[in-house]
Amino acid sequence: MSERLLGILTDSFPKLLLSCLKVTIPLTVIIFLLSLVLGFLLALVQILNIKGLKQLARVYIWIFRGTPLLVQLYIVFFGLPSIGITLDAFTSAVIAFSLNSAAYNSETIRSAILSVPQGQIEAGYMVGLSYRQIMMRIVLPQAARVAFPTLFNSFIGLTKDTSLAASITVVELFKSAQQVAAVYFEPFALYCEAAVVYLMLNTLLTFLQSYLEKKLEWKPQTKRKWFRIPFTKEKLMPIDDNEQ
Amino acid sequence: MLEAINLHKSFGSNEVLKGINFTVNKGEVVAVLGSSGSGKTTLLRCISFLEKANHGEIVFDDFRKDITKVTNKEMRQLRMKMGFVFQGYNLFRNKTAIQNVLEGLTIARKVPLAEAKDIAVSVLDKVGMLDRADYYPDQLSGGQQQRVAIARAIAPSPEIVLFDEPTSALDPELTGEVLDVMKMLASEGTTMVVVTHEMGFAQSAANRVVFMDGGVIIEDRPSKEFFSSPKEESAKRFLRRTMFDYDYTI
Repeated sequence: MSERLLGILTDSFPKLLLSCLKVTIPLTVIIFLLSLVLGFLLALVQILNIKGLKQLARVYIWIFRGTPLLVQLYIVFFGLPSIGITLDAFTSAVIAFSLNSAAYNSETIRSAILSVPQGQIEAGYMVGLSYRQIMMRIVLPQAARVAFPTLFNSFIGLTKDTSLAASITVVELFKSAQQVAAVYFEPFALYCEAAVVYLMLNTLLTFLQSYLEKKLEWKPQTKRKWFRIPFTKEKLMPIDDNEQ
Repeated sequence: MLEAINLHKSFGSNEVLKGINFTVNKGEVVAVLGSSGSGKTTLLRCISFLEKANHGEIVFDDFRKDITKVTNKEMRQLRMKMGFVFQGYNLFRNKTAIQNVLEGLTIARKVPLAEAKDIAVSVLDKVGMLDRADYYPDQLSGGQQQRVAIARAIAPSPEIVLFDEPTSALDPELTGEVLDVMKMLASEGTTMVVVTHEMGFAQSAANRVVFMDGGVIIEDRPSKEFFSSPKEESAKRFLRRTMFDYDYTI
């Protein structure tokens, strides 16, 4: 490898890393959180069978799963201004990605909620719990564990998909690499470098996933702990089982 | 204490309950017998509102109402007075044994935690599951899970405990440990309705047998009478088929 190339790579690495930390990661996290909230609501209106909203949710999912993400991005960033809505590139990316991801996440969340056996819901009623309490204390904690691997998968996918935002001028990791590559005419080296940074990020995330999955497990109890049950009266603590 | 009057229930065009009149008095242990598809389980589920009956009236102590018009709030109040043990245990899988028992006390009935723990410990001890109090359902055998489920059902001291084929999912060895717990409850004067295929239990622990066939109650008599001298032909046939002991003594 020539000295010049090495110099370019070492000079550009902090720049790529910085755009990863300052744009790619925040973008991914914001999108993911928004898509979780929206996806949860979409799943909930379907499960609660709310007339009208349920059909609306199905149409929404049909549209956003049925059209390409890149097209959605272009519609929001380049298309909306022509009907008078002008958004900056970052906001456009957040909106398009969140709407798209929510459609997928809602299906994951919905199937996870439905995977909790009906019998436990009946048992909840027979112990005297309300529907809301059954949802909060029995169904959702179990659904969360079922949905977790799939949702984390979509999170990892999202870190890479955000590179599409480069096409609507968001200067994230990939766009930075494009800029450097254009200056030095070294596309091969720079895009490989960008790939390495994505790989580093996702390696960390993979470790995070296995760590979190372990934490989510309901572990065998070896010692008797019933004298300090970790929840207090009337307080809804859906995650109380994961502390042990 | 509990009464269902002229209860009808259909699933689509299949009429499962064809006008059932069913009564349970305080302190009674009623065994509901009958072959599969006779409507035993549906009867139990209609009484506990897990299944919506199409027609009928429900009486529980002072409460009396058209069963199709019972509001969600009333359902919840009535269920608070019942305990229900399912065929498939249905323990909350994200909760340990003791948390399963506590749920109905601290959350549903707002019993203070300290008091609730005392109750939970005593019922778990009663069913012989105290040493497994901190185990999750997945770590317990079927029989153990069912015993925890019984502890969960009796913890709030319900006025009546309904058992829906509590041993049908268990192998014979584990059936025994669950039946022992149920016999103990029966001997303590717990009001119980037991849908079961366990003839031995019905014979020894039940005061009364309700025999169902084709969605109607065929016989409703003291247990001893039913087993020694069944009146109706379908009951005789049922007993012949299920009580092998008598089958081969010629």
